Formats: sequence, C-alpha cells, structure tokens
Amino acid sequence: MLLGPSLLVSAILFTIGVVGVMLRRNAIVLFMCIELMLNAVNLTFVALSQVLGLGGQVMVFFVMTVAAAEAAVGLAIILAIFRHTRSVDLKNINLLQG
Amino acid sequence: MMPIDLQTPSGVTLALLPEILVCAGAMLVLMVNAWKHHTGADSRLAGKVALASLIPAAAALAWLWAGGAEPEGRPFMVALDGFRFASLALILIATAATILLSFGYLEREGLIAPEYYSLLLFAASGMMFMAGAEDLMVLFLGLEVMSVSVYVLAGFNRGSIFSAEAALKYFLVGAFASAFLLYGIALLWGATGQTGLSGIGERLAGGELPLMGKLGLGLLLIGMGFKVAAVPFHMWAPDVYDGSPTPIAGFMATGVKAAGFLALVRILYVAVPDAASTWQPVVAALAVASMVVGNLVALSQRSLKRMLAYSSIAHAGYLLTALWPGTRLGAGAVVIYLAAYVLTTVAAFGILGVLGKGGERDVTLDSVAGLSKRHPWLAFALTVCMLSLLGFPGTFGFVGKWAILSGVVGARHILLAVILVVTSLISAGYYLPVIMAAYMRDAGAEDPLGGRRFDRAGVVTVAVAITVILVLGVLPGSVLNSAIEIAGTLVRTGGSSLVGIGR
Repeated sequence: MLLGPSLLVSAILFTIGVVGVMLRRNAIVLFMCIELMLNAVNLTFVALSQVLGLGGQVMVFFVMTVAAAEAAVGLAIILAIFRHTRSVDLKNINLLQG
Repeated sequence: MMPIDLQTPSGVTLALLPEILVCAGAMLVLMVNAWKHHTGADSRLAGKVALASLIPAAAALAWLWAGGAEPEGRPFMVALDGFRFASLALILIATAATILLSFGYLEREGLIAPEYYSLLLFAASGMMFMAGAEDLMVLFLGLEVMSVSVYVLAGFNRGSIFSAEAALKYFLVGAFASAFLLYGIALLWGATGQTGLSGIGERLAGGELPLMGKLGLGLLLIGMGFKVAAVPFHMWAPDVYDGSPTPIAGFMATGVKAAGFLALVRILYVAVPDAASTWQPVVAALAVASMVVGNLVALSQRSLKRMLAYSSIAHAGYLLTALWPGTRLGAGAVVIYLAAYVLTTVAAFGILGVLGKGGERDVTLDSVAGLSKRHPWLAFALTVCMLSLLGFPGTFGFVGKWAILSGVVGARHILLAVILVVTSLISAGYYLPVIMAAYMRDAGAEDPLGGRRFDRAGVVTVAVAITVILVLGVLPGSVLNSAIEIAGTLVRTGGSSLVGIGR
C-alpha cells in the first residue's frame, strides 16, 4: 500500500537529515541527523518489502543493530571531546585544519 | 578444485574460515586483556597473541586458495574466488604490519591499553567481510564492523585532544557516508529485487539500468567515495590522519582504503558491469579530481603526516583510474597497485612513527635533515618509500603505475592516462624534497631521532617491506601474471591479453 508516497516521505526525511548534517554545528544534533538518515532508509526498506518480500524487513533489523552500535561508540567519542573542550560545538573543534 | 556448498552451515563455515579465525583471535585477545591489563608487558602480550592469531587465519586462507575453493552452484552471500583470496591476503598483511609497528609506538607514547589489538583484529575481520562480500548486506555489515572499530582506534590516544578531535571527525563523516551507502543499497535492491551481487548482475544483464538503480548506484559511489577518501569526499582525511596515532593512520591509509577499493571493484565488476557506460564517467571524474587536487595540495604541506594524507588521496585517484576500464586488466591493475601501495605506505608510516614524538604532528622536512649521516639505513628506507610512492622505475610502485596505464590505454582512454602521468610528475615536487633533505642537508646539532629507536619488530617490518618493494620492482613478471590470473576469476571477459606486461 502507498508505495510511492512512502518512498517520497523517506526521500524527504533523508534529505532533511543531509541538510541538517551540512548546516548544524552541534555534534549531538549532527548525530541525530545521521540517525534520521538511517531511519529514512529503514522506511524505504519496509516500504519496498511490500513488493519485494520480507528480505527488506530483515535488513531493517540489521540496520537498527548497526545504528545502536554506532550510537554507543559515537556518544563515547562525543563525551571524550567534551572532557577536553567542555563543549560539543564544532566551531570550537578546529585544532586540525584542513 | 574444491566445490563448497554455501547453502549448508558447514559449507559457510569452511568458506568463512579465515574471517572466523580472525574474530576468534580478537575474542581471545579480549580474554587475555581481562586477565592482564596493567603494564606495558601485558600490552605487548596482547599484541603477540593478536599476531599469533593471524597465523591460523592465514593458514586457512592458504588452504582455501591452494585447494581452489569455488562455490557449488550459485555464489551466495560470500564470494569464493581468487580475487577474494587475494583481497584477504592483502588485508592480513596490512594488519600484521600494523600490529608489528604498534608495539614500539604504544610503549613510547605511554598508551597501555591492550584492547587496542583486539579492536585492530575486529577491524580486520570487518575488512575481510567487506572485501569478500557477495551480497550488499554483508558488505554493509563488514563496513560497519570495520568503521566502528577504527573510530575508536582513531581516538585511542585519550590524553590528546588532537586524537579525540580526529575520532569525532572520522565518526561523523563515516556515519554520514554509511547512511549514503545504505540508501544506495536500498534503492539498488528496490530496482532489482536482489541484494546478491551476481543476482543483480543477472537481473540487469544486457538491459538499461532503471532510474532507481542509477540513483542507488550513485549514492553507493558517494558512500564509497567517502570511505576511500576520493575528491570531493576527501576533506576529512588529512585532519583524521593528522590527529590519529601514527600506526592507525597507516592502517586507515592501507587497510581501510584497500578494503574499500576491493569491495568497489567487486560491486562495479560483478553487479553492474553492463551499466559501465553509466558509472565510468563518474569514476573518471572522481579519479581526475582526486589526482589533481591530492597532488597539488600535497605540494603545500609542511607536516609530513599531512603530506602523506594528501598523497593517499592522490593514490585513491590512481586506483579509481585503475578500476575505470571495467576489464580483466583493470581488476588486475587494482590488485597490483594496491599491493604496491599497501607495502609502501605501511613502511612510510612506520618510519614516520619513529621520527616524531607526541603524535608526529611536528615532523617536517627539517626533522629529516641530515638523516643519512646518522641513520643511513633509515634514510635509505625512507628514500625507497618515497620513490615507490612516486612510481620511480625499479620500485614496486612503478610496476603498479605501469599496470594501471596498460589497463587504461588498452581501454582507449588516453586522456586519463595522460593526466595520471602528469600528476605523477607533479608529485615528484613533494616526494623528492624529502629525499633531498635526508641526503643533502646538514643535520642540526641534535639527532633527528632524539634517542628514539625502532624496536626489533619495527625494523623487521620495514626491512621486509622495503626488500619486497625492491625485489618486485626489479622482477615483476610473476606477480603481474598472478594478478591477471586473480582478476580472471572475477572478470572473464575483456582485455585478457597482457599487452607488454608480465614479460
């Protein structure tokens, strides 16, 4: 049901995530935008699995597991940065210049 | 010939034996850590266990390779061909070299944390799954296992704010890239109904790639572009290499990049070979941008570590050029260039690790001035590395560039070949000053090493790498032939003639 609209919604969510990563400067908000992107993909998987079979739903479980592992490591890294700089704002994190 | 049925549990276990043994090794190291984790000696012990656990994995790999393992029926989830075995061998070599170079480094920097080695092994297992994946989902999981471990390793020097910053940048960019890759996988699956690479290939055979598939492939290329640091997705690489512990920067430049390229070759050559006219222009554009930007920006770097980071971006460009033709010769060129690049870069980062202290952020040309007078062998090794990265005749790097050129010229893309040669000439502008500083400038009053020495493991690693670079640079015949043979297990058609190389 509603395959086209679901795919459209997930594309919009993914785009919001990408724009958020580009524009926001707080590490936690950036990380939330990345999670939004991953969940947009999950929506794509679920929507497509109406047509293509249950494989997509299985993949969603894998993606959720991976996102959880990534969150554990990511938050630990953000905590490590906070201990050094007392801030998680990327504009204060500029010692390495490209 | 040894047919393995990948639909049965025992068949899968056999096919995945090298990966399983590396994972088991990583867990063994974790158990050793739980028991002993207080002193530098405990850390060394964990490293030795990690190194020893690579031996059974290598033996299993040799057994599968020598036995000519191949899938019974359709390939399923994991590939079983010479290309996968060569990929695994390359990754095991990069991992072993990184472990060997880490012993002395960790001790000197006072990083007593034995879980470092189990993270290295987990990262290696992720790379192996990624490079050997026959299914996009296995590829994604392998990539994530690798990336999550390397995020932690990049931030391993907990006392250093630079290391923490490198970890944060790598994590944010890496997770961002993974999301693109995953969306690409979802759309490719939506377009074909398959996640198996050969399944997608069969579904798309002869036909036009539908729009959804094109979008998926594009997103997948963006995700992989971030992982291998190709321009314009490269901006994280110099900062992250700069801040990470030096052996880990070397591991990122060799292992992560190698795994990315090997997986990319497999995706492009097995899943979408018939859409070559769609992806070739994109790959060519990325290759040209990486070669030009990487080499030009490297010219203006003062720090040797950042210089090597930009040079690794340039090398991503060369490797993209190598895989551009989509032929057997192209896959062979990727294998051979990766072998040359991995050996040289491991040795170069090893030498960099002994030249500086405190993260090597301060190693510049001045630090190597007069190196030849006090440490002639170290200066010689550095020279060989720089010449091999430059692609100077007589080194393995030259053989790699030659293989790339014959693949590209064989596919009649002269412009790409010309750009490769011109940008390689430009790269002499930053490789040669290192050699000149080491041999022609006078040393300061201080010893450039400041009393630091390679430990035995480091000396052996660099010496072996340098010897192999020189020997294969002079006698490349056998390795060229076997690279083409390995590529033949992946691509059976196109450009099978060995124009001039391998004689």
